[in-house]
This record gives sequence, C-alpha cells and structure tokens, in this order.
Amino acid sequence: MRCVEVDQLRVVYPNKDGDRVALDRVSLSIGHESVALLGPNGAGKSTLMGVLSGTVFPDEGTVHRGYENGLGIVFQTPALDELLTVRENLRLAGDLHGMSKDSINGSTQALIETLGIVDRIDQQVRRLSGGLKRCVDLARALLPSPGLLLLDEPTTGLDVEARASLWSAIDSIRSKSSMAVLFATHLTEEASKADRVILMSDGKVVVDGSPSELIDALGERVLRVQLRDEGKYDTLESWCKEIGCSSVHRGTDVLISHADAQHAPQVPGDPISVTLAAPTLEDVYLWHARAGIAESIGGPA
Amino acid sequence: MNGFQAAIGLGKRELIRQVRQPSRIIASVLTPMLIWIFIVGGFSSAIGQDNTDANLTAYMIPGVASLTVMFASIFASISLIQDRHDGFLRAALISPAPRWSIVVGKVGAGALVAMVQGLVVLAALPFLGVQLSVVGVLGACAGLALISIALIGLGLGLAWIVDSSQGFHGIMNAVLMPMWLTSGAVFPINDAAGWLRVIALCNPLTWAHGAIRSSVGMVGIEGMPTGLDWLITFAFAGACVVLAIAVMGRASRRV
Repeated sequence: MRCVEVDQLRVVYPNKDGDRVALDRVSLSIGHESVALLGPNGAGKSTLMGVLSGTVFPDEGTVHRGYENGLGIVFQTPALDELLTVRENLRLAGDLHGMSKDSINGSTQALIETLGIVDRIDQQVRRLSGGLKRCVDLARALLPSPGLLLLDEPTTGLDVEARASLWSAIDSIRSKSSMAVLFATHLTEEASKADRVILMSDGKVVVDGSPSELIDALGERVLRVQLRDEGKYDTLESWCKEIGCSSVHRGTDVLISHADAQHAPQVPGDPISVTLAAPTLEDVYLWHARAGIAESIGGPA
Repeated sequence: MNGFQAAIGLGKRELIRQVRQPSRIIASVLTPMLIWIFIVGGFSSAIGQDNTDANLTAYMIPGVASLTVMFASIFASISLIQDRHDGFLRAALISPAPRWSIVVGKVGAGALVAMVQGLVVLAALPFLGVQLSVVGVLGACAGLALISIALIGLGLGLAWIVDSSQGFHGIMNAVLMPMWLTSGAVFPINDAAGWLRVIALCNPLTWAHGAIRSSVGMVGIEGMPTGLDWLITFAFAGACVVLAIAVMGRASRRV
C-alpha cells in the first residue's frame, strides 16, 4: 500500500490578469520513503503540499491517502501560538488530534528529549529563537506519530547548525518508525539526502528519481563553462552535438553533460573558464531549469 | 474524533491568551464606560428622567454592558484573522478536529470573557438604585452570553471570508453600531417614534436588551408576550453560530 497517491491534480488560482495554473496534471505516488520536492519559487511545491494536507482543494484530480495516524505538517512559518508555552502548544495539538492525556504527555516527553528542548518546555514560544520555534513546530507535527510528515521549506531562515539539528531529529524519528517524509526545498544539499527527488517547474513534475539516478543521467563528468559572449553559444552547442554531448545555458553560463577530461581543453567559443567536475544534484537542478520543461522531461542525452 | 476535546482545548487556548493580554480586557471595559460617562454626563440633564423605574444613568447600563460585550466579541472573532496570518489556523484545519469545534471553542471562550466583562459594567446598577437578585444576575449573565455568542458567531463567519482585520473592523462597525444604537441601548424604545420602534423591534439586540432589563428588574419591551424576548435572543444566538459553522465548513483556499 502506497502512503499517498495523487492522480492528474490540477489547481488553478483565479487572477485578475488571467488564471494561474499552480498544478498542471500532476501524478505521483509516495511510499514509506523520504521524498524531496525541489523547484524554483512558483513551481507548485507549496500548492501540492496544500492539496496533500487538505487545505487546498484541487479543481481536478484525485488524492488517495493510505497512511495511518493522520498527517503531520510543518509549514514555511511555524503554526504555533506564540503566547502559549511549548507544553501548552503541544497539549493543544494533542487535543486537536483527539489524543488521550497520557498519550499527549508521553509523546511530548519523548519528542522534547529527541529535539533537545526539555529545558524550554514551559517557556512561551515568543521567547524562543527561530531555530527553537521550528523544533517546537516539528514536535507539534510529530506528536500524533503521523504516517506522513509534510515539511514545506522547513529550514528557511535557519542557520547551518539549526538546520543540521532539525534534520538530525527528523532522521532519528524516521529510524524508529515507518513514517514517510515529503519535504519541499530550494536547497539541493538537503534534497540530496532524500531517498527520492521530484523536480517541479511551472506546476509540473519535470523529473522524478533517486538522487543518484538523476545525477547519473548527466554522465560521469560535466563541464561548467563560462562564455565571454553569449553569442558564442551556438558554436558551443554545435560542437557538443559533434562530440555526442548535450548542453544547456542561461546567459553566458553553460552546462555540458556526458563530458570527459579530453573535452575540457577543446571547448570552443573563447570561454573565460572551463571546469570539469563530477555532476551534483545542483547540476541536475540547473540542467532542468535551463532546459525548460519541454526539453527536459526526457532528461539529458 | 471527539470534537468536544478539540473545542475545549481551543477554548482553553483563548482563555490563556486573554489572561496574557490584559490590555484587551481593559480596552473592552474602559471604552464603553467612557462612552457611558460622556453620554450620560452630556445628556442626562437635557433629557431628564425617563418614564421607567430608573433614570437615564441606570437605564443605559445594560446597553453599555452590551457594548462592552460587543467590543469583546469583535476581539474574539477577529482572532480568527490573526490565527490565519500567524499560521495557527492551518494547524487546526489540517488536524482531524471538525470545523465546528473551532467555532465552538472560540465562541465558548469568547462568550465567557465577554460575559464577565459585561457583568463588571452591570455591577454599577446597585450603586444607581437598581437592586439585583441572584436570579436577576443569572438572567443578565445569560443575556450577555447570548449576545456574545451571536456576535462572535456573526464575526467568525465574516472573518472567514474577509482577509484583512481593517476590512473586518469596517464591516463589523458598519453592521453592529447601527444595531446597537437602534436596540434601545441609549433610549427607551417604548417611547420612540413609530418608525424607529419598528426598526428597533426588527433588531435582535433590542430583544436581548429587553431580556436583560427585565431580568434585573427594569422595564423590558412593553406590550409583548412574556418570554418572547428570550426566545428571539436564543434563536439569534443559535442562528449566528449555525451560520459560522456553515461558512467555516466551506472549502477555502485562503488558509
């Protein structure tokens, strides 16, 4: 049984200047795994999260939920009452999920220990730092032991240490349960730690696979080229076709897939710099962002 | 899912927020009291004694109490807009708690706070020559609570639709202030001009004021069947809560 399946989801936001299609026939299935939703602003990540959480109603399409114990969600900004203490917020979350008093107390204790906020339990949320608020918000989402955890850019605005401790806590909790995690992010570094990455753009799923599959699709090496003049790109593109590579560009920045060491010194077009490197998820992201949806659905050559 | 557990939890939250924001309580009581002092101070000598068993000063107290309840109710219902902006509402909406529990929690706690604030104002009556009985106070409590339940229900329905607190205040003031002014809060409707009396009798707040006045031993709405004031007040409160539940039960993309 899959954790959640969506089929042909379409969401259109009415707009004075013309309707905006936020999700355009999106179909995907998530098992008990960690899935990263990667994409630029306006790609449709938050709308997809909204549909899965039931706060956005699709114009077309279906959602099948197969998870147990409901859903936990961490939004871009904490969904906490800042005037209440950490304990009061968690107790309220338990009440909203119909948990018993014993269950609320037991889960609260376990979560605050895992998240390292035991000494903050009776502090008002407004007195906490941004990182601690996120931890409390995560505890709120995890309190009912949800079958699916949705995280909508959960580390936005957090420093490196706070970000690391948040992911460490999520990994620790995942290791003890079969909870599926779906998180939206702009950060390829975060996405690379997921079991699976779904890249979205303009309301569509552009590419879907494990980080290694997506990276391998660019070949063993890529060339990152900085041209002096954007007008030289046509020459470079022709050369790439001759040697059996593919290229994409934005302005003077060019990315060439399936390259090898012998290609680097031969790059035409009077480049400012040429770098040969093993591809990363950031290259995957840039590749698909630059290629555009129509060309990138099939992936690089 | 037990919706009552969620409603009680949300109600407790509202009460905690009240305690931690004392300025809200002070503002809710102080503003109507100032209005009362200035209106009574300005007009009592000009109007003189009314034809009821209490002078204008005492006559206006139930109306001022309901104005206090009105302000408290606006605060209680506008908190839905604040909850939406703060993000708290999303957590409530994605939980398995039924939507009606959000309405019941907010209405229950808000009405309790508003009723207590209204009672503070009514406590002035014994000092103005109106003797209060236990039954009278309980009746006044019920009347104030019903006014608050109705106004919070009305406000929550509006707050669900309107996204800005400025817009909410504008619409609520445009609706509630005329309601309050034509409800016999400031002048006795029994002696009002015909057209004004008709408007007043179409106003549910008039009947709530009548119920409160008759509870505390003052003259209510004359020439009407006994208990009609309570019946209309109950019906108004119930209808507003049902309206809020119906409106909040609708699909919305703005959470």
